[in-house]
Amino acid sequence: MSEAPVDVLIIGAGASGAAIAWSLAETRMNILCLEQGDWVKSTDYPGIGGDWETRQFGDFALSPNGRGRPEDYPVNDDESPIQASMFNAVGGSTILYAGHFPRFHPSDFRVRSLDGVADDWPLDYQRLAPYYAENERMMGVSGLAGDPAYPAQPAKQPPLPPLPLGKLGDTLAAGFNQLGWHWWPSDSAIASQPYQGRDGCINAGTCLVGCPQGAKASTDITYWPLAIRQGVHIKPRCRVREITVGENGMADGVIYYDEEGVERKQRAEIVIVACNGIGTPRLLLNSKSKQYPDGLANRSGLVGKNLMFHPYGLARGVFPERLEGYKGATGCVIMSQEFYETDADRDFVRGYSFEMLRGMGPVFTALSGMSSGHISWGEKHHQTYDELFDRTAGMVVICEDLPEPRNAVTLDPERTDSNGIPAAKINYRLSENSEKMLAHSVARATQVLEAAGASSVITESPLQVAGWHLMGTARMGTDPATSVVNEWGRAHDVRNLFIVDGSVFVTAAAVNPTNTIQALALYVADTMKKNLANLFD
Amino acid sequence: MTDSPPTDDRRNLLALVLDAIIPPSADGTRPGAGEIGLTEHIETLMRDAPATAAVVQAGLAKIEELAPPTPFPDRDAASRERLLRDVDAAVPGFIALLTFQLYIAYYQDRRVLESLGLEPRPPHPIGYEMEPFDESLLAPVRTRSKLYRDA
Repeated sequence: MSEAPVDVLIIGAGASGAAIAWSLAETRMNILCLEQGDWVKSTDYPGIGGDWETRQFGDFALSPNGRGRPEDYPVNDDESPIQASMFNAVGGSTILYAGHFPRFHPSDFRVRSLDGVADDWPLDYQRLAPYYAENERMMGVSGLAGDPAYPAQPAKQPPLPPLPLGKLGDTLAAGFNQLGWHWWPSDSAIASQPYQGRDGCINAGTCLVGCPQGAKASTDITYWPLAIRQGVHIKPRCRVREITVGENGMADGVIYYDEEGVERKQRAEIVIVACNGIGTPRLLLNSKSKQYPDGLANRSGLVGKNLMFHPYGLARGVFPERLEGYKGATGCVIMSQEFYETDADRDFVRGYSFEMLRGMGPVFTALSGMSSGHISWGEKHHQTYDELFDRTAGMVVICEDLPEPRNAVTLDPERTDSNGIPAAKINYRLSENSEKMLAHSVARATQVLEAAGASSVITESPLQVAGWHLMGTARMGTDPATSVVNEWGRAHDVRNLFIVDGSVFVTAAAVNPTNTIQALALYVADTMKKNLANLFD
Repeated sequence: MTDSPPTDDRRNLLALVLDAIIPPSADGTRPGAGEIGLTEHIETLMRDAPATAAVVQAGLAKIEELAPPTPFPDRDAASRERLLRDVDAAVPGFIALLTFQLYIAYYQDRRVLESLGLEPRPPHPIGYEMEPFDESLLAPVRTRSKLYRDA
């Protein structure tokens, strides 16, 4: 069954699909977005129920494998020390993200030139800066100007004041101050006060299972309502199987399954892929044709290669006093970039960020303590539980990953999703550089926690469940032999095919990627609008 | 048969085991697991999941086997705990399974939450009050020179 053709077809309604849909809407082109997930209603979120913590093991689990909703697709991560996390819905993974919203540093775009590893990006911080600012306005970022970790010009000016630190954040800030190390209140895509029709944060602490309050900026409540008002159409519960091509080698549409499971054909003049760093290579590799026998836009052989996560380490300090850590935005407290830039005195290149975490709720305290062996069952149960509950403050370290071709997304030969489409398989190993960086960072995190007054510190490295950031599997560049898309997201091999998610990252930096993913999507949209007359030249 | 409903004796034994895993607190502020109806919770899980039922029934049977000459109910708390550790070694997963399920249910219970100093309600829609960010904390950081590299 074939639908009327559209001018622009966007695949994926998450962070980047929403941003580019909104930006392109002003062109008045006929724009359609297909999304395999559904809308999430505020009443669907676990935070309104007493079982909110345990639903993180079920229908709101971070891993699609654990969640197993029909709209999810399996990711075979048996060959990876890090499990992939994502969410499939209108809003994509912004539904479950922490909302941490830092920018890259200028040096992140010049990794080869400055440090002799990986590659430079084909654009720089200055080019992206106005799009960062636009995105921060659209998402409603809370934060504070003046951070010495970022350029003074153009100044980073979050539109909303920072979120509260609380007793936990104040305690950790004191630890950093005692060591003389950098810290700053997190740039957070969480409204600290009412903003553009959204309520302000009420410090409920359920960010990682979604925000019924609407304070956290998931794109279903930021970009999408505006895009839809401007005429963009979105079809949820429609899963694209493959992108099809015409005799001329250009993309001519997609084959997808609608919400009833009926196979349909949607034709389009322009196809934009926004499916994340695993979903995008999976779709391209599933889109084989006589012109593209190895997968669409894959003449370089790089589709799926160079998968980057951020290797995470965790250090959790145990404090003698209660910290009220169940209050406040879960992942958005303070960030430190004391060890962000390369230092020749260290035994690794590049660097990492620290991000503070709130404490754990009552159930997670028990299960975490059971897992680590710090909470006993039996006569000592209450004593050991009380030593941990509301007395822990966590820090994660986000290490920069470097691109390596051996780290890759391929198609799983056996597993499929609920429509029978081959699933993704990940092969990933930590590099020696990452191992050294993790060791350094966890030791420094322990130092901060002890300076803040922790009586003991529990560590885990690498953090297994931390595959939140999926990058590099359709990298951008100017050379078609060494990249999949050009400097504004257009596939080298297919001139009406664009990619706008984390797949296009050349390097990973050492910060959460969503702000950069969306800024890039806005930049790509702007470049498309400026070149509409000769977009395919 | 592991899928048979537990006998009254087994049900009583299960309640004692659960109370041994999470006993009442010494100060009396927190109930034991059996006190707040978690025996029925575990029995429900056993009915819904045959694999769970098999492990629990095997563990209870092992208690009955190892307990003589002093039956489990007649033992003091320390002795019950010692026996359960022996049983856990003989029936892998028995204590871990019960503990995992108990922790999930126990720490959602109203009485338990109140005893922890928490309001027994979901986080939304009320949330929690917090003091606004105090910028004076940043004074030493503001004296730092730039931390980024020009590029």
